[in-house]
Amino acid sequence: MPDDALTLEEIRRMAAEIGLTRLTDEHLQQLMRATQIARARRATLPVAGLVPADEPALVYRLADKP
Amino acid sequence: VTDLAWLTVAEAAELLRGKKLSPVEYAKALIARVEKHDGQLNAFLRFTPEIALEDAKRAEAEIARGNWRGPLHGVPYALKDIIDYAGLPTTAHSRILKDSTAQRDAAVTERLKAAGGVFMGKLSTHEFAIGGPSFDLPWPPARNPWNRDHFCGGSSSGAGTATAAGFVPAAIGSDTGGSVRNPASMCGVSGIKPTYGLVSRRGVIPLSYSLDHVGPLTRTARDNALLLDLMAGHDPLDPGSVPRSAPGGCAGELERGVKGLRIGVIRHFYTTDMKADAEVAASIEAALGKLAGLGAEVREISTAPLGEYLAVNRTILTSEAYAAHERWMRERPQDYGALARERIMAGAFVRAADYVNAVRLRRKMADAFHALFSEIDLAVTASSMDPPCRIDDPQAVEYTYARQARAPFNVTGGPALSVPTGFSKAGLPLGMQLVGKPFSEAKLYRVANAYEQAADWTKRHPAL
Repeated sequence: MPDDALTLEEIRRMAAEIGLTRLTDEHLQQLMRATQIARARRATLPVAGLVPADEPALVYRLADKP
Repeated sequence: VTDLAWLTVAEAAELLRGKKLSPVEYAKALIARVEKHDGQLNAFLRFTPEIALEDAKRAEAEIARGNWRGPLHGVPYALKDIIDYAGLPTTAHSRILKDSTAQRDAAVTERLKAAGGVFMGKLSTHEFAIGGPSFDLPWPPARNPWNRDHFCGGSSSGAGTATAAGFVPAAIGSDTGGSVRNPASMCGVSGIKPTYGLVSRRGVIPLSYSLDHVGPLTRTARDNALLLDLMAGHDPLDPGSVPRSAPGGCAGELERGVKGLRIGVIRHFYTTDMKADAEVAASIEAALGKLAGLGAEVREISTAPLGEYLAVNRTILTSEAYAAHERWMRERPQDYGALARERIMAGAFVRAADYVNAVRLRRKMADAFHALFSEIDLAVTASSMDPPCRIDDPQAVEYTYARQARAPFNVTGGPALSVPTGFSKAGLPLGMQLVGKPFSEAKLYRVANAYEQAADWTKRHPAL
């Protein structure tokens, strides 16, 4: 579904699914705007150059302690 | 001594060590200045003159006994109010933590106390270091001392204001997407985001675990180096802390000049990727001309487009910030200010794959960026793309807040220092960034110091 089709009721349902049940309509409008911006940002991540072997930064390391 | 408000840390240290200045008189002078002017600027969220006088009396007695601890001994400083000071609230400028009390000092507080600093109080921030400037919180936002109708940057807003206004010669901020360097740039002072892991984040309220840095704001490069030398060092209780000794000696290399240093200019960040205001761009070009005149070799370099760095920074930042705030966002959403709530909620529906891809891209971008340093010694680029806008114009604040070239270096993790490059025609500060490979802070300070001496901007102060 295109992001611009997100409605207040859809964002309310999505919010409830992750436990955000106390948001007012004003908060939900904010969440809708923020979500649309975040989703638009996804398209600007330059992922085309990644290959499966590209590891994340800050991979967990075990300490070598006696 | 004429005006104690404008003493640098280095100047004050000389006077205090030589017993030509009393720490108590120094503290009293700055306390009086804060009491007189901060009602107009809101730099302090919690002003603590009683602690400052206690610290100053202790410093005076120690110095009198010949026990001078170093350059911060008897010198006033203040902390952004996301940094713990035992026994005081750490509010993050938020209703959520209004009644909290820190049980222990943050690692950086421990270090500044051990250095004999005189603690003046907790400074305004954007709520949780992300939401501001806000007018719907229990405390008002800090204002720009060069013109109080204008934005002072953020999120370490009080730190920029207090330093530029002569309330303290040094303040400590934090930087996740540019939050030390933004107020430094907007207030006409110096501010560094050190190498990731160089300064402990223990006891600092997290915004984004892998992007958060703690750094000092001061009026000169020399003072910044002195502060960083005191703050840096391994902390086994901070999982991000680098297990190496402090770089030390940043202040010791200041006078080496720039002759022969190779400076790479990342001009595409502020000319084509994002077009900077003409006065900002002109001030950077003039600074580069000065550095070339001092003997540096200036050449243009290129890296990934600014937008790609910003996308990686924001994807990581919002995801980690939402994870840190999810419980409060579920239970107390109404207690956030509108700006913090919206910016933090941006991470609620970021897909796991997008977050992981951003962290994978981060490694590639950092490796590629740091490889450039085989051919240059440091890089220069813009800090803010615009002079400070009016603080009462939310659209202008939102527009200029995103127009910056600071976040790329939270992604790459190396050091980035914002230094003043003059003033706009309206009399508002302008700045640029000096950027290095990891752990090259001393070189950045060396260049900043040479430029500062040639340009003389740091001798100008706002009339309050």
